[in-house]
Amino acid sequence: MCEHDQCTSHAGQKPDMRPVYPKAGSYPHFAKLVDTQKAQVDRKVFHDQEIYEAELRQIFGRAWLFLAHESQIPEPGDFLRTYMGEDNVIVVRQRDRSVNAFLNSCPHRGNRVCMVDAGKKARGFICNYHGWSFGIDGGLRGTDGKVYDSDATFDKGSIGLTPVAQIASYKGLIFATFDPDAPSLEEFLGDFTWYLDVMLDNDEGGTEFIGGAIKSVIDCNWKFPAENFVGDILHAFWTHQSGAQAILGGGVDLGARYDELAFQASVYGHGIETNLDKVGNTRTLGYPELVDYVFSRQKAMADRLGEVRARMVGAVSSATVFPNFSFLPGQATFRVWHPRGPDKIELVVWTLVNKNMPEHIKELYRKGVMMTFSPAGVFEMDDGENWEYSTRVNQGFVTRQQPLHYALGVGTRDDSRDLPGIIHKGSLNDANQRLFYTRWAEFMRFDNWHDLQNGETAPPQRMAQRQAAE
Amino acid sequence: MLDIARPFSDFTRYADADTERQVTRFLYAEARTLDREAYEEWLDRFIDKDIRYWMPDMETRRRDDRRGAFCYGEAAYFDDSWDELHVRVKRYNEPSAWADNPATRHAHLISNIEVFETDDPQLVAVCSAFTNVRNRNETDQDIIHGRREDVLRRHGDGFKLSRRRIFIVQNVLLSKNLNTFL
Repeated sequence: MCEHDQCTSHAGQKPDMRPVYPKAGSYPHFAKLVDTQKAQVDRKVFHDQEIYEAELRQIFGRAWLFLAHESQIPEPGDFLRTYMGEDNVIVVRQRDRSVNAFLNSCPHRGNRVCMVDAGKKARGFICNYHGWSFGIDGGLRGTDGKVYDSDATFDKGSIGLTPVAQIASYKGLIFATFDPDAPSLEEFLGDFTWYLDVMLDNDEGGTEFIGGAIKSVIDCNWKFPAENFVGDILHAFWTHQSGAQAILGGGVDLGARYDELAFQASVYGHGIETNLDKVGNTRTLGYPELVDYVFSRQKAMADRLGEVRARMVGAVSSATVFPNFSFLPGQATFRVWHPRGPDKIELVVWTLVNKNMPEHIKELYRKGVMMTFSPAGVFEMDDGENWEYSTRVNQGFVTRQQPLHYALGVGTRDDSRDLPGIIHKGSLNDANQRLFYTRWAEFMRFDNWHDLQNGETAPPQRMAQRQAAE
Repeated sequence: MLDIARPFSDFTRYADADTERQVTRFLYAEARTLDREAYEEWLDRFIDKDIRYWMPDMETRRRDDRRGAFCYGEAAYFDDSWDELHVRVKRYNEPSAWADNPATRHAHLISNIEVFETDDPQLVAVCSAFTNVRNRNETDQDIIHGRREDVLRRHGDGFKLSRRRIFIVQNVLLSKNLNTFL
């Protein structure tokens, strides 16, 4: 490993325990698996282990990833445990009320220092292996016994849990990245914040998550559910016919003004499809009182967000924040699809409500999400098998050579509407899925954020500025 | 007793042998009804109109965390009234309930049955354990183990289920869905 004399010269020196944040590479041969001209995605991206490893490095090692809602950890020492990609992290409220997050791995032998899902008012975290203990700021506080007291190389102050490189909140949602060079969270989200505000800012009191989370395992590639939420309302009519029948007594309804109103918007691969039908999603929760509630708030929401976004709050709609954080406006379910290899995910689901909602309305949202988008829910029940077999079939060598059709709505780009992002006409469209995979390819190809933020998926104004500058 | 948020604690009076046999037969018949996916029949024969059917998510918490593994009013798989159970049943009745067409093969195994008297002669408290096996298509298999705390109400010669608290042993549900009742 090193020259002998160098080794001896290191004797007695303190080990370098500084955090290591991985550097991105460039995988142009993987990027080419997304063919924007032919509107095709090569099935290898759902199967190949090497591509999966590249995703962990290029995407989950760099992108801002959703961690938690501020309301889940209100007090100093309140914490929860989650994942960024496959990396387990502890998210903990600090004494100054800021939030930090750390890799859940002891710098001694690597064991987890936190085994529980969440907790209140922790003073720190102690590794079960050798008793190394850490403050909620991640710093090493002590070890079991006194053996290190007489070890001159042991520098407690230089040892701690590895913090994420950057952490920030957007209107209650906490995100973090392992990339010190990543742009700010708001730059990463870009104009998509305009659409996030539909859920996060339709009331002055802000939002909160209802307590607890439902977690489940689906044997599918993480991109299938992410692309499903980014722009696939098409599947609702066929996949969810049974759920719609059970709750509504009829099919999913996109509203009478579909041709005029429905659209897809995409910014940096984040995307939303919506029908501006006011209450279509809320109606599927099965409680007429919730529909009345959303209608009753239309004027207040329009005053705050404008007419268009007020119509989005309860509409038939779905969204994904690239890469793996999705939500359904109207149904109030927020979820992360944690990758677990190319053919498995862990799904975590929460319910988001406005703090100012009456308690009985919050309770109906909790129950509505449980009835619809939960493992026993009448909609979610029928999603998993589709994604599992879309993934599993690609074990077939010949099968995975076959093209997939992502061409619905090619040529429907609509630059006439005054809406942020890349707009396509109609929500029944593969446009957002194409842009999701284009973003995926950008992450594979580019090793720097300048290129990442100025590629094909950048918002049109940004592209116009760049072209003017050139 | 009928407060769904309150755990069973100190039932000490075992029901008599006849009651225990009746309850055991009730639970086995219920399981067999669910095995053959006769969900409407399950609601009609076994479920009382005032049912609360609750299955919380099971969190991993420190032993000294007063919240414990679950908390009523937070995330749950089920927290259903009769009407809400009926919505789920209506989905099963649709031929386009794809996660159940082709049919899932079910085995609801019930064991560890203990039947207790309560202060209300119309109500018995029943503890049981279950193994639920679902198999689909070629090799898809899901197994869930757990415990139940039931309150059964006497109806004529038989019983109906009035309260059911379901506690599975899994933290992350190791399945893509829960297309059954437990």
